[in-house]
Amino acid sequence: MKAAIRSNALARIFLVAGFAISLCAVPASAQKQGGSITMGLELDIPGFDPLKVGVFDTAAGTAAAAIFDTLTTLDDKGVAQPKLALSWTPSEDFKTWTFKLRPGVKFHDGTPFNAQAVKENYDRQKDPANKCRCAFYVAFMHDVQAPDDLTVVFNLNDPSVNLPAIISPPGANFVVQSPTAWKTKGDDYNRNPVGTGPYIPKSWAAGDRMVLEKNPDYWDKGRIYLDRIILKPLPDAQSRFASLQSGEADIIWDDESDADNIQRAQKDPKLTVHTYAGSGAAVAAFNTKVAPFDDVRVRQALVMAIDRKKMSQALTNGLARPASNPYGDGSWVKCKDDGALPYDIEKAKALIKDYGKPVDFKMLFTATPRGRAAGQVFQQFWKQAGASMELEQIDQATFVPRAFMRQFQLIGWRIVDLADPDVQMYANFHTGSPVALANYSNPELDRLLEHARVTADQEKRTEDYCAISRHINKEAIWFWTFQNTYYALSSARVKGLPKMYSGVVDVSGVWLE
Amino acid sequence: MVLFVARRLLYLVPVLIAVSLLTFLIASLLPGDLAYVILGDQATPENVAALRHDMGLDQPIWVRYFGWLGHVLQGDFGRSFRTGQTVLQAVTERLPVSFELMVLAEIMSLAIGVPLAIACAARSGGPFDRFMTGSAFGMLSVPTFLSAILLIYLFAVELRWLPATGYVPFGEDPAANLRFMVLPALTLAFAEWPGIMRVLRSDMIATLQEDYIALAKAKGLKPSRILLVHALKPSSLTLVTITGINIGRLIGGAVIVETIFALPGIGRLLVGAIYTRDLIILQGVVLLVGAGFVLINFIVDMLYAVLDPRIRHGHA
Repeated sequence: MKAAIRSNALARIFLVAGFAISLCAVPASAQKQGGSITMGLELDIPGFDPLKVGVFDTAAGTAAAAIFDTLTTLDDKGVAQPKLALSWTPSEDFKTWTFKLRPGVKFHDGTPFNAQAVKENYDRQKDPANKCRCAFYVAFMHDVQAPDDLTVVFNLNDPSVNLPAIISPPGANFVVQSPTAWKTKGDDYNRNPVGTGPYIPKSWAAGDRMVLEKNPDYWDKGRIYLDRIILKPLPDAQSRFASLQSGEADIIWDDESDADNIQRAQKDPKLTVHTYAGSGAAVAAFNTKVAPFDDVRVRQALVMAIDRKKMSQALTNGLARPASNPYGDGSWVKCKDDGALPYDIEKAKALIKDYGKPVDFKMLFTATPRGRAAGQVFQQFWKQAGASMELEQIDQATFVPRAFMRQFQLIGWRIVDLADPDVQMYANFHTGSPVALANYSNPELDRLLEHARVTADQEKRTEDYCAISRHINKEAIWFWTFQNTYYALSSARVKGLPKMYSGVVDVSGVWLE
Repeated sequence: MVLFVARRLLYLVPVLIAVSLLTFLIASLLPGDLAYVILGDQATPENVAALRHDMGLDQPIWVRYFGWLGHVLQGDFGRSFRTGQTVLQAVTERLPVSFELMVLAEIMSLAIGVPLAIACAARSGGPFDRFMTGSAFGMLSVPTFLSAILLIYLFAVELRWLPATGYVPFGEDPAANLRFMVLPALTLAFAEWPGIMRVLRSDMIATLQEDYIALAKAKGLKPSRILLVHALKPSSLTLVTITGINIGRLIGGAVIVETIFALPGIGRLLVGAIYTRDLIILQGVVLLVGAGFVLINFIVDMLYAVLDPRIRHGHA
């Protein structure tokens, strides 16, 4: 009996492997079926109802990638591929996108997945009565229509040439949730999510384990290997790493501020360090409407006084990758010339001297140890150039309103890893946008941003975005410090982790060796 | 006795009102507007004004306080705007973890502290006594976040005897539950036993100089019997006080220990509520914990009365 089972399992492995070779020429490492993994997350997951939680953090993202599906997914090259949608076509002006859906898919509660369900998900987020914090991220959609059971039409306010990639992350906006479930469960839905995804939540103790079990009716069984995934919040970085070393966790979330442990893991043959060099960067914005930053010389001087290599060494043992533009190595935008100002402390001193008046200002950071450390390094650099910065740390709750109301001189910010630069670049730099933090308006910059979002040809878009980068770098209205790098550390047995797009560690397709 | 208990209970009322007022004030005076937290990127001035009105945030603070207190008295502590859980749900889910941690930590610190105190008192001024009082002082100065990491490194990573993090409910698997609880409880106990030892040691040294101990010695009783039977009980009154106060300290220590060991207890709930500005959870939990602390002190007061008739009958 035992032998029979084993040979059956073997046959299945060969079948799966053969399938993989024939279809997408993946190297034939035997992907083993079965087993269970425990993942250590950084945060407690508050829930999954966008009306309650607004956006998913990295921890919720990991769970959402297993419980839910999105219409599209990104392949290894960052190109959108079918998931719940089979195909899509844009209108000529890229303001209307029509998606054909996969037939025969059911939510975990038996509700059929169809165009109406997709429409209801978006309607609920956009309904002004719901005041959803999530609505900001779908504001560019005018409405979503379901002309028939398997067709969804997105009508956009602004053109978007890359919509299928933009809606690929398993975030609160784009995962498809069961309308029946949120209607019947009310307030309890948030902690009892229902999706179409490869894993079904079996139990969830608040602040402790979430147990996910394989969905036996999943529409894409071929890519699912584990029987069970256990997600645990392990908030303390030291004990999270100790849990990986001692085997309580098979994989853990991590970030650059835990550089010591990442470097320890790199030297440990029993562990694997997964990294993803994403697009975007940690950035800062000058308020160009207030002194001393209404003068371009001061802005340029401060940017040229930053030695990013030294800063990376001081903050992350050299792990953090310096950024010279808003796109980063993870983006498809590659510039021959991004116009970055070089590190040149003498030039910086000369510019400040040239300005003639004392340069005293405050920089706004969130009240985190990381914000303080980064602020102190900036202080040192700028002191050498002859400027004096005072660190102002406030908590997230007051930080965002201050940014929106432009009550700052210089503010720390972030451009997150997304499949397409359009959404964030347009929001950050186009005249009149609520997060165009620099208060800077320039017709040429606006023209480039508008052109880039209606151009389908990627080479031409790249030219636009590189010109945008040169413009911003020359005017020094924002500056970039480090590119986004995302980390997960795992036991060497864990295989098949995909790229951590948007910082989400998606363990739904991994297997154990 | 009944009158004594009734009078003590009456004292509780103003204390609890003060606790509720302080809790509410602290939560209200925190910088940052709850409406902004809830709305996030949707925080246009109109939306903020509308939500503030819906939530009653535009009313004067005393109106909000009495409104909140009225709900609390009816058992309605409110609901988290992020998770949709009520405060009572969140607390009852997590209370067993923190309670078990507290009890185990208390047992462990007594198990370490009491024997050491007796051994020190038996030969006070001797080399063992001097060594132990010195190291107790050292242990008292080690913060829990340090001893926690050292214990994890030793027992979980190097020796692999115990798990580093995690939790299993006691009802599900008692043995596994205890395995998970040993290190966190030990971490807390490490900070608590020195206090217990030092207090009991000095009380016992004082007791051992009493005449009736000299008499017991003269009668030829065994030293162990004198220590354990004649000296320990009269010396343990202060121990009761210390144990009561420790419970308050343990709630504070549990915040750190639960975070490091990833235990789903009240401490973690509190930290999470602070980080996410979940003020409804925050003020509800602080009020419940505060009320719990007040009640425990009440019970300790009652225990004194049981142990010492002078308190029970006195007019103090």
